[in-house]
Formats: sequence, C-alpha cells, structure tokens
Amino acid sequence: MSHAAADHPVLDPTLAPPFPQAALRVLRNPQLRKNVAHAIDVIQAKRAKLVAEKTDWQELRSAASAIRAHVLENLGAYLAEFEAHCTAAGGTVHWASDAAEARRIILDLLRQENASEVIKIKTMTSAEIQLNPFLEAAGVQVFETDLAEIILQLGEQEPSHIVVPALHINRSQVREIFARRMGLKDLSDDPHALTAAARTYLRRKFLDVPTAISGANFLIAETGAVAVVESEGNGRMCLTLPRTMITLAGIEKVLPRFADLEVMLQVLARSATGERMNPYTSLWTGVTPGDGPQRFHVVLLDNGRSSILARPRERQTLKCIRCAACMNTCPVYRQTGGHAYGSVYPGPIGAILTPQLMQMQHAQSLPYASSLCGACYEVCPVKINIPEVLIDLRAQVVNHERRRFGRFLDPMYIGLRIANLLFANAWSFHAAQLFGRIGLRFFTRKDGWIHSLPSLGAKWTQTRDLRALPSQTFHGWWAARGQKSIKEEK
Amino acid sequence: MSAPVQSRQRIIDRIRVATESVANDPARLAYAYAALPCTYILRGHLTAEGRIALMIERLHEYDAEVVESTPQALPTAIAAQLAASGKHAFVVPAGLPAEWLAPGFDWKIDRGLTNSDIELAEGVVTAAFCGVADSGTIVLHHSAAEGRRVLTLLPDWYLCILRASQVVETLPEYFNCCQQPPALATWISGPSATADIEMTRIKGVHGPRFLHVILVRDEH
Amino acid sequence: MGLDSVMRVSLFITCYNDTLYPETGRAVVSLLERLGVELDFHPQQTCCGQMHANTGFRGEAYSQAKRFVRLYRDAETVVIPSSSCVAMIRDQYPVLFDELGNETLRNQFAALVPRVYELSEFLIDRLRVEDVGAYFPHRVAYHASCHGVRALHLGDRPYRLLAKVRGLDLAPLANVDRCCGFGGTFSIKNAEVSSAMLAVKLQDVVATGAEYCTALDNSCLMHLGGAMHRQYAGMKTIHLAQILASTEASPAEATA
Repeated sequence: MSHAAADHPVLDPTLAPPFPQAALRVLRNPQLRKNVAHAIDVIQAKRAKLVAEKTDWQELRSAASAIRAHVLENLGAYLAEFEAHCTAAGGTVHWASDAAEARRIILDLLRQENASEVIKIKTMTSAEIQLNPFLEAAGVQVFETDLAEIILQLGEQEPSHIVVPALHINRSQVREIFARRMGLKDLSDDPHALTAAARTYLRRKFLDVPTAISGANFLIAETGAVAVVESEGNGRMCLTLPRTMITLAGIEKVLPRFADLEVMLQVLARSATGERMNPYTSLWTGVTPGDGPQRFHVVLLDNGRSSILARPRERQTLKCIRCAACMNTCPVYRQTGGHAYGSVYPGPIGAILTPQLMQMQHAQSLPYASSLCGACYEVCPVKINIPEVLIDLRAQVVNHERRRFGRFLDPMYIGLRIANLLFANAWSFHAAQLFGRIGLRFFTRKDGWIHSLPSLGAKWTQTRDLRALPSQTFHGWWAARGQKSIKEEK
Repeated sequence: MSAPVQSRQRIIDRIRVATESVANDPARLAYAYAALPCTYILRGHLTAEGRIALMIERLHEYDAEVVESTPQALPTAIAAQLAASGKHAFVVPAGLPAEWLAPGFDWKIDRGLTNSDIELAEGVVTAAFCGVADSGTIVLHHSAAEGRRVLTLLPDWYLCILRASQVVETLPEYFNCCQQPPALATWISGPSATADIEMTRIKGVHGPRFLHVILVRDEH
Repeated sequence: MGLDSVMRVSLFITCYNDTLYPETGRAVVSLLERLGVELDFHPQQTCCGQMHANTGFRGEAYSQAKRFVRLYRDAETVVIPSSSCVAMIRDQYPVLFDELGNETLRNQFAALVPRVYELSEFLIDRLRVEDVGAYFPHRVAYHASCHGVRALHLGDRPYRLLAKVRGLDLAPLANVDRCCGFGGTFSIKNAEVSSAMLAVKLQDVVATGAEYCTALDNSCLMHLGGAMHRQYAGMKTIHLAQILASTEASPAEATA
C-alpha cells in the first residue's frame, strides 16, 4: 500500500491541487479505482431497488425538497426556535461564525471538563473545521469510534466519501492498518475479524471516556431535539454513556417540526445506504435527568453558510442532508474517488459546496469537475439542481478571471473569447470554418483523420482521433442545392 | 457585548439580510409551513393481518427472531425465550410488568444501575412504544416500561415485547400517533451493522447482536 | 393542422454539425422532406451559445442566445438534431434572459420556445410518426445522451423510432444512461477523467457486438467515435437522423 507523503491527499481546499491534477494521480491507481467502483455499485444497486419499490418516491422528494427550501428561507426564525427550546430543555447553544471560533468553543468546553480524551461520532462538519488536529495539538486525545473513521485515523488517511469514508480501502489494507496499530499480529483480513477487533478496541473507551463530540443529522426547531442517524451503534454509545455531550452542527441542519422526520428519514436511508431505514436513529432533547449526558452543548456553525444563503440560485446547496447519493451515482466520482476533490466534501455536492464555503477564493477547479450529465440531480432526495449551481459557479469563476491579467495567458479563455466574436456573424463564422479546415489539413493523415494536435487540441488527441473537417459545410451544401430537392441531388 | 454574544448576533444578522426578500413574517410562517406539499403516502392500505405479517417479514429480514403470543400466554412465552437463550442474568426497566419476570433468572431491575452493573447482564427485556411495519422499525420512547437508553445498548441479547395493537404500517402513521414529540427516542431497524469494509455487511459492531421479538396478538 | 396544410420547419443545424457532420444535416433534410415537411435554413445561424454558457462565459452566451431568438422569432417550428442544444435553449436561456435580458426579449423567447424541437421529439410529438420508412440492416447500439435523457426527458421516443427501422437489430447497451464523458469543454479541461469515463463507456458499447453506435447528439459520437477510431475498435458511429434517413434506394453514409 503506497501512501508516501507525496501521495497523501490534501483535503484542505486552500492547499489542495486543482482537480485535474489531483484526479490524474488517482486515475493511475487501479486498486483505488476498483475499490471505489465496487463500493458505489453496491450502494447504487441497493438504492435503485428500494426506490423502485417506493411508489411515492417522487412525492417524498418533492416534500423533502420543499421542507428544506422552506427552512432555508426562514432559517433565522427556526434557529431561534431551536435555540429557545434546546435551552429550556437544559442544553446550551453556542454560535460559531467560522471554523476557528468553533474549534475554540469546543476546546474551551473540553477544558472546562478537564477532558484529556474525547470520543467522537463521525461528523463531516468536524472534518470541515479540521477539529481533530487542533484538539490533538492542544493535548486532547481524540478517539474516532466509527469503524471507517478508526481505519482512517489509525491509517493516517483522509476520508473519500461522506457516508462510507473508507470506501477506497480494501480488506487487506484494513488488516494491515489494524495489525500494525492495534498490535494484532495474527489478525486475518476477514471483515468479521476486523470488525470484532474494532469492537474490542472501543468498548472500554465508550465506558470510560466522559466527554463525547457528535454531529447532527437534524435539529428540530419545534422541540430543541437533535437526531443522529447511524448504523453501527457507536453513536448510541457516545450519546448515551458519557457525562458531557458536545454536538457540532451546521446552521442549515434544522427542520421545523418533529413530524418532518417522517419525510426526511424515508428519503435519507434509501439514498445513503440503500436501506428502508438505517439500524439506529437516536433523538434526544437537551438533558434528561438520569438518562444520558447531563451536560449538553450545541455548537451552531456558520463558516460561510450564511453567504450561500444570500444567493437565490445557490441557496439550494444548503438543502443537502448529506446522503451521498449524488457521489454514488456520479460517473466522474466513480473514476476519481473523493480525494481528487481536495475537500472533506467530495463528489457533486462537494463541487458546489466547497468553493462556496471558501467564498469562491479557493477550489475554483471544482465547479468544472463535472460533465453536467445531471445524474446527481436525478437522485438527490431534496432536489438540489446541482448542474444549475455548477454552471452558476463557473460563471462566477470566469467573472473573477476576467479581472486578472493572467487571463491572456490562458488558451481556453482566449479561444472562447475569439469563438464568441466569430459566432456573432455568419460571415466570421464561415470564414473561421474555412481557415480551420485549411489549417487542420496540416494535421490530417491519409486516412482522413487527425491523430495529433498541438496546445489545447492535444488534450483531445491524447486519447481520441478527430475526423478531418469535411470539404463542404452543411450550409455550403444547402446553398449549393438552391431550391433542388434532395432526390435531384443524387 | 461579549464575544459569544457578538458571534450570535453577527450570524443572526447575516441570516436575516440573506433571507430578507423571502422570509415569512411570524404571522405567515405557520401558514407557509402548512402549505408545503404533502402528497406522499400517509396511511398504509394493508389489513391488520397484512400489517403484522409485514412487520414479521421485515424483522426476519434483519435476522430478528419473532414469536407470536396471546396476551394470556405472554409470561410463558417470555420464559421460553429466556430459557432458549442460554442466558441467566437480565436487566429490565423498573416499569416492566412484574408478571413478565419469569422465575429462575437473575433479574437486575434498573432503579439506578451503574454501567458496570449493566455490563454484567447478559440480556435485556423491555416493552416498546410502536412498531413500523414498512421498515420493520421498533420505536422506543424510553418510558418506564421501555427503560433508559443504556439498557437496550450494552447487553448483547435483547427481547422486545411488541403488541400487535402498537404496530402501524407507515412511518407517517407513527408520527401521527405521537400525541406530542418524545424527548427521547430510539428507532431500531436492524442490529448494529457496518458496511465500511468493502461494503460487506457485518452485524453487531456495537449494540445487541441478538434481537428477539414477541409479537403479542392483543387485537381481540 | 389539416392534411392539406404543409408543415414548415426551420432547421437549426448547430455550429458543430455544420462544421464537422454535414452528413447529419443532409440526412435530416432528406428525412423530413420525405415526410412531407417544407424546410428552410436561416443562412445567418451560427451557435446557440452552449459551449460558452457551460464554461462560465455567461455574457458571451447571452449575446449568442439573443441572436438565436432574433433569427427564429418568426419561425413556425424549429427543429434541431442535437438534444444538448435544445436543453441549452430550454433550461439556460431563461436564466440568461433573466439576468441579462429585458422584458421584450423574455416575451419573445417565451413565445418561441414551445416551437423548438429536438428531432425525435418533432417526429413523435408533432408529426406523430414512428415508422419513417427507414431501412438500415445493421446491428446498432443506441447511446442515450445525458441531455436527452435528463433534460429533455425523451423517454422512449428514440427507441420507438428505432423499433420501426427495417432490418435494424438493436443491441441492448449496459449502463445505457451513464455519461460518456464528453461534457463539452470538460473533455479538454478534464481530459484525463473524460478519457477514463470514455474507456468505461466504450467497454459497454463494444461489448454489444454492434457495428454502429448511434445517438441523438454528434457531440457524444465524436468523443466515442474518436476513441473507436484510435483503438481500431471495429465499430463506427452514426447519428440517428442518418439511420432514419436511410432507405434501400439511398443507404446511409457512415461517419467512419
């Protein structure tokens, strides 16, 4: 297993290489591509079967989309309602403008608890704010408790998917990590044995560590409750056994009412793991005396979400319920896996969420990491029109580029500007066709095809031939036939 | 203003500005919410028999063992399940009906048990709030007869007593029968499972690996 | 529309068909004239603006979109042998005109857009014909272009047309809805990923054992056909219009 420092994927959008470059590294890794394709084919097949069986699937999508859109339009009111009820139920609500503030709030809470260790339920939001390295540097030992997160943590690797984060790692690779880090020399690579090893490794932690950190799938405004959806049971362990619970949640996670879960839970499990319902869903409200953590904190995170909220066409990005159906169906993701996106949020949702969270200052290659096939939109349970947002973000990237001097060195920019001028009139268009045909003759071989082109053209011809431009255009043919019908032509 | 209060205000202000043109005022908010589309299936169409059969089928799909019983025969059915388990020490919520505590077993009644106490138990027996047949979901609202959340989490063997009259077909029916939202809830739709290693489904990572259900036919 | 009134159609050939695949245009003309349609061709047409819109050059796309509306404002019906161009017009022109246009333009567009058809839509929905009298005795795989499937919701229209082509043996294509990887400028900006997607798609296409791969978009076919030619795959591409135009008397001209 090759994971030399040079190969280590960078999931920090401010540092990650552009998508085409990052993707190329992955494309050269057949094992990883095979692992990714296998994993998503399994989930896709399961999802397809259950969606076909659910006769009101489209109606559920409409309802889920409408609920989420309604929440975003009234986010202030619903967050205020959530805060009031959570507080009344014994929770404490904190607000973090950005990642740094969220990290500080969490560390302060841990310090108040004299916590030197913390157990965690998987939460992508904590990866977004780069919480673990920050806590470790501050002397707090962090124990991930999701099997995938343990694999990544012990293997010092990065997540490549938001629901199945270690899908790029196969069983023998897991065996190697566990044997090395847990000191289990005779461990087999049977997934049962590997899972049993993880179970034993964690049992004591669950019972002994008094402070836990979680994310949230949904925050319920009506009651101040938090819902966590999971499969393994480590979530239940973390949110039941410790003394203190800290839940980190993006501000967009709120739902108006408890009953809205009747829609969201039906679409989430089917979309995320291809099940009618995931094994365990937990709901708790503030503090319940005698049952579960007696100290409960919610950290609400903005970190760029309020700016996304401000743009009407982009606002739908925040409808996301983190099911990952989009990346499971994406033909680009299937070839590249998650690391190529340089963000903890990969795939189609990552391509629109990451650059926006970065205020379009970084990850500008991500909106282009798509062929705009629309498969993601088709499967999204909350109907995020990802292609529409991708195109809008591309326009933002280009408008940014227009102000940079470097644009004159970008052949694609120059080419498209010129093409636009040529398309403005028939005569310039036709002249371009003529010059193009003559110019390309130089590259045309005897078989009537072009096998190699320079500059941008080389990007085409590295894997594809191009048929030479025909000697007569369609419009030329039409003009020549005059009023003759096609039968007379022959 | 202190820093935390500043942040809160800053975020609230940003949200308000971002949604000024579309946000509903408080008077209209409930109206807008009520107008959201609701064309998905609310009520199921199965008969009572069909509903129970579906619940059992779904439970079997995730390898839960299911036996049916009449209300009169329930204590006997419970005793039989416990005997068949080969286990001896069971933890139960304080509100569990006394007649369910079959003789001959070591009953730890939860009147403030420590986690170590619960760890020593080999199994747990509780009632439930509801069953949702469509997904084979067992719903716990952690009332006196259902117990604290830790009870159904630490032991490896779980016997759940579910009455047929508690079974609904669809998830919306369950939400509809909640007179008010629960403060605590656990929805169980399978044993703990992971598919994180090559998408191979492994059961029982954390939480009971063995689920037994007695479906009490109390409709008559 | 009665039997004695002739349908008049304005053909928007698309910039890339005009330049690279004039035989597709000739086939559309032959086919539609055979079906009794009176065709005209606006000599001033150039491009719908899709390439610019999809790459983020919104202002440039807008100027091309405006021009399209101006050219076709008075057309009775516009037919376009390219589902991606029709998707551009239906899905993105409203966005462009909302952001950059004015009320007049928006109204003109609103009046025009119901009269714009992709070729298979025109045949099935307007001419109400499935059997166009075609003869094409070959094994053919049909690739369902993404815009056709997801933006235009063409559904079974292409299949109904193919089913009536005499002599044609339609080979089922695995993963028929999966993107071929062309994606316009994506094929250049993300050439390696595009090629990886192409390799996967080509595997499925070649596995059909068909002689020809057809589709409603020459953009996909240029990409697939380019790789077929490079790899001596033993298959050729051909636009669906050319299959439908093909008869015993005038067999289709193949692309490669």
